[in-house]
Amino acid sequence: MNINKVQEIVDKDGIIFLSYGGYISQFLISGMTEALEKEAEVNEISMSISNNLFTIFIELSQNMMNYSKSIDDTTVQVNPQGLIIVSKDDEENYHIHSQNIISLEDKEKVEPKLLEIQALDKDGIKKRYRELRKSGQNTHGKGGGIGFYEIAKKCDKIEYKFTKINEDRFYFHIKTTIQTKKGK
Amino acid sequence: MENLRLEVTKYTPEINLDTEGVISLVGKSYPENTFEFYEPMMEWIEEYFKTSAKEVTVVNMEIIYFNSSSSKLFFDFFDLLEANAEEHTIEINWIYDEENESAEEAGEDFIEDFEDLNIKLVQK
Repeated sequence: MNINKVQEIVDKDGIIFLSYGGYISQFLISGMTEALEKEAEVNEISMSISNNLFTIFIELSQNMMNYSKSIDDTTVQVNPQGLIIVSKDDEENYHIHSQNIISLEDKEKVEPKLLEIQALDKDGIKKRYRELRKSGQNTHGKGGGIGFYEIAKKCDKIEYKFTKINEDRFYFHIKTTIQTKKGK
Repeated sequence: MENLRLEVTKYTPEINLDTEGVISLVGKSYPENTFEFYEPMMEWIEEYFKTSAKEVTVVNMEIIYFNSSSSKLFFDFFDLLEANAEEHTIEINWIYDEENESAEEAGEDFIEDFEDLNIKLVQK
């Protein structure tokens, strides 16, 4: 393996840190959150925006953690490798990406929520978040739940993509954008 | 009934449950298993209102940021307080840093969702 190739990608895309592996743990998440806190401090990002960054990062990474825990080992054909990346572009927007492999069944659970989120404006998302929190549905289980609404509330843009691997497996990519220079 | 105290960690708040009538949570909240983590607190509070509640109970919440399952848990926590608010006097302070807009907004949402509770926004 040529580590310089990885270094090139990291430099070119403004990657602050990334994690890749099948077993993302709570300790790893809190360590990365600390690194993100340091990043926000060094760059003098306002408390409000930095807390949004931390919440989105935690939400995406805990989603992946919970998802990899919920998978029944005997039925998994593909290792649930998860990738999480935090990067910053030239306009000082932060991007938090997550990608993992999910089953068709789970894709069908997640996709309607994301479609709904895409169709709503910020106030609509906030309203829906509170309705769902109140109704208590989908919130006690692992993964999903009101998490995507939490993310959508706190970022400036949320995009997602499913890429088919085979009939039952998909790469599930979420990209969030958090602006640090508002009102441009 | 005994006091219950949980030390702060990188992802859970410091929790102080005092039979003198003070409930306080200070810190961040994104545990791995939110409901399991807060279960002793919820049980303590239920027991407290059943057997040991003081004339006035003060709740101080100062949560810097939290994940969505904590958000749900705090909703259940306020629900539990509201269930006891008719028989007991409960004063809730939602404390936030003046620069922390998300925390302020979260407090405002809880105030709207729990009209029967006395929740005050307290800016630090």
